[in-house]
Amino acid sequence: MSTVINEPAVDVVCLGVGYMSGVVATELALQNYKVVGITKGPYWDYVNDFSMTKYDEWGVGLGRKYDSPLPLQTTTIRNNSSQFALPVRRYTMPIQYHALGHGVGGAAQHYGGTMGRQGPWGYQMLSRTNQDLGVTPLTTPLPSSINPQDDTHDWPLTYEQYEKYYVAWENAHGLCGNYNGSPTNSSTDQYSQKYPWMSQNYRLPPHPLTPVAQMFQTATQAMGYNPFPHVSSLASQPYTNSYGVTVNPCVYDGYCGGPCDYACETGAKANAAYRTIPAAMKTNNFTLVTNAYIYRLDYDTTNNQVTAARYYDAQGNIHVQPAAVFFNGMWGYNMIRIMLLSGVGVPYQYNSGTGTGTGTVGRGLTNGYLPFNGTNVSGTLSIGGNSYAAGNGSGGSVDIYDLMDDNFDHTGQNFIGGSQIGMGGYLGGGPGNITFAGGVGGPSSSNPNGSMGSAFKAKQQNKYLPKTVGVGATRFAPDLPTFMNYVDLDPHYTDAYGDPVSRLTYDWTPNTYNGAIGLVQKCKDILTKMGAQNITVGNAVNPGGAHNDWWGHHLRGGCRIGSDPSFAVYSGYNQLFLSPTSGVNYFGAGEITNTTGDTVPSGTHVAGPQSYRAAEGIAKYLNNIKLGGSVNYLAA
Amino acid sequence: MPALKVPNRPNVADIPIIESRVPRPEELVVLSRPLLEATIRIGELLRDCPAKWAFAGDLGEILFGVNVEPDHLTILTTSAGCNEISRSLTAFQTQVPRIGERQLERSAEIHLKPLPIIIKSYSSSFNIEGLRLDVHGDLQIKVGDWDWGDPLDFEPEYVYVVSVKVPAAPLELKMELYRGLGWYDRVSKIHAAMARRHHKIV
Repeated sequence: MSTVINEPAVDVVCLGVGYMSGVVATELALQNYKVVGITKGPYWDYVNDFSMTKYDEWGVGLGRKYDSPLPLQTTTIRNNSSQFALPVRRYTMPIQYHALGHGVGGAAQHYGGTMGRQGPWGYQMLSRTNQDLGVTPLTTPLPSSINPQDDTHDWPLTYEQYEKYYVAWENAHGLCGNYNGSPTNSSTDQYSQKYPWMSQNYRLPPHPLTPVAQMFQTATQAMGYNPFPHVSSLASQPYTNSYGVTVNPCVYDGYCGGPCDYACETGAKANAAYRTIPAAMKTNNFTLVTNAYIYRLDYDTTNNQVTAARYYDAQGNIHVQPAAVFFNGMWGYNMIRIMLLSGVGVPYQYNSGTGTGTGTVGRGLTNGYLPFNGTNVSGTLSIGGNSYAAGNGSGGSVDIYDLMDDNFDHTGQNFIGGSQIGMGGYLGGGPGNITFAGGVGGPSSSNPNGSMGSAFKAKQQNKYLPKTVGVGATRFAPDLPTFMNYVDLDPHYTDAYGDPVSRLTYDWTPNTYNGAIGLVQKCKDILTKMGAQNITVGNAVNPGGAHNDWWGHHLRGGCRIGSDPSFAVYSGYNQLFLSPTSGVNYFGAGEITNTTGDTVPSGTHVAGPQSYRAAEGIAKYLNNIKLGGSVNYLAA
Repeated sequence: MPALKVPNRPNVADIPIIESRVPRPEELVVLSRPLLEATIRIGELLRDCPAKWAFAGDLGEILFGVNVEPDHLTILTTSAGCNEISRSLTAFQTQVPRIGERQLERSAEIHLKPLPIIIKSYSSSFNIEGLRLDVHGDLQIKVGDWDWGDPLDFEPEYVYVVSVKVPAAPLELKMELYRGLGWYDRVSKIHAAMARRHHKIV
């Protein structure tokens, strides 16, 4: 039997200590609220934990030694509700592209650092599409020709309303860039509803551009587009953030991106451990609990209150942590799973007969990552390259927002939205000897000796000092929410403690493929303008041409925010709905709460403002309690 | 590495527990909010100041990640720079520029022998939202009965502090100074910060 340890009550418990909880914990600790943060992994000290050990492609790339262990918990996946879902048992592609985070900082300990604000259209995708199509009411579902069993909804707030929270997020995390490509950066002119204008620029200058990026910049400018440097959360300069936390700059060591596995040994890679949590700890109002696996939330169904979080420590003891408010900052499936395990919120139930569903928790899942196979274009630039380890995971390139959202003419197209398009990242920004093509190959009929000996050397020479640089694009339009794609609890498989794991029912939606077909010509035009040779457009891949067989960590929706509890889990303050006019002492934020979004602008960056919105909501809620108020819901 | 113990299971699970140490609050390098705000304010006010200047003292060090706890702000500049800064910050001035000398509280430790440290500069003082700002032009140092050193010269390095880019005295200069004074505890702190940044350690 486990020993049960009752912990003293606090004002706020943060479930998970990643990006979102980092903000919430710090904002509230600075306001003198007592906060406890609970994470299933360790605290990572970038000097002691990464300096030497990260240069380990086998351990990091294949063994995923910094990541959430699959034997502890996994998920099961299937494409539709009639299939038997199977558990994910391996860390590498295919099946699992990116491992989950583990410990303070979460998955952001080992991501590429890509950021990018979402444009205004992404917040009002449904209403603006209906407006363009002349459909009323504006809440009418999208036509099935675009998205079968559509379940798309608008966000509860507009881009303009989120803008100040973006600023807070960027000040805290020290993002690098130079605006977002708006021709005027005005909040009032005709561009204000197309591009994510900024009331202030990114705090740090962008990373140096590569030659390919400069070619892309020149070409797209000449075509009338509005290029801008890729937005990165890897500090380009020494920085002191809005909480007074000092940040070391990137040292461009090249062990950063690639398959997004590599942690940063100088703390330049933004995450909660090196931007927010130090400020929270400094207040002495924040308590960090590591290696603690949350397995239940105690929910009082009479008063509709979450009363405590229960977790196992590494020795198998049970801890009961009460609080006035709970904030769920767990990654995607885990946020949904703990709610379903604990009876918090209304579970989503899909009805395959009607093609609709009821409930909200687990509903509206979309994928920020895209199918591996899609209609693509590729070519080569006659310039040399150097892909020895150098650079980082999200600097050096240039993007355009001109071919996403409704920023271009969609006449005659059967998709909505589009994609951020960019080129020119650092060739040596991430190692790829083991996890991606380029490593030692075995014998084959065309190469009986395998890629060993002289063949290996020639390959390596060409790999590290290529005489030409390949460029290409497979740009999908956004994955749209449908009733068919969702997360629930698996009836067969369990975690290490015997609780059901999450089950992902998911397949690619047609909009993604149709978008790739629609965008390929525009991408080809850019390559032509850049002077690329041997430009090839791949065969069209139509919807249904491939099925999802993996999971990534950029999952969106599934636990959405919205203005209506009929489809949304959380309100505009990221507070759990009880009814349209009442709420629970439970808040949540993360990419999984993003209601919708176009392709590629970082889901993490888009989630960030919600963490500030939630922190503001929690402070209001706690203040109301302190004043003896009875208001339990914060109208957005 | 210990393994996870799962209740009601006879054996431990094959899941390693990573026991990374959680830092104590005093180990974390965080600039206090009043100093942060004052730094930003000064950075904005001196954005167009043509003189060579840099944040120095403990504040200059913490901006590069050195684990110190400044309680005021210090700017290092030239005599002309001191006048220039005084003009820009007139509204906050508490002491007009003048040549002054004073002995530091801490002595130098040369060959295990404590020697007094005297500094001389063309200096002025300011009150920025309740915090003291000392501006030193052409600062010179004298240890014991040695001769005065040359006025401190430096090439500033730049740090971004939320909304402003500010100059700060390079850590290499501070390290050299502390070594000369025998302040090896301070050398060690700078050494640690530079190691965390993976910069060359001189």
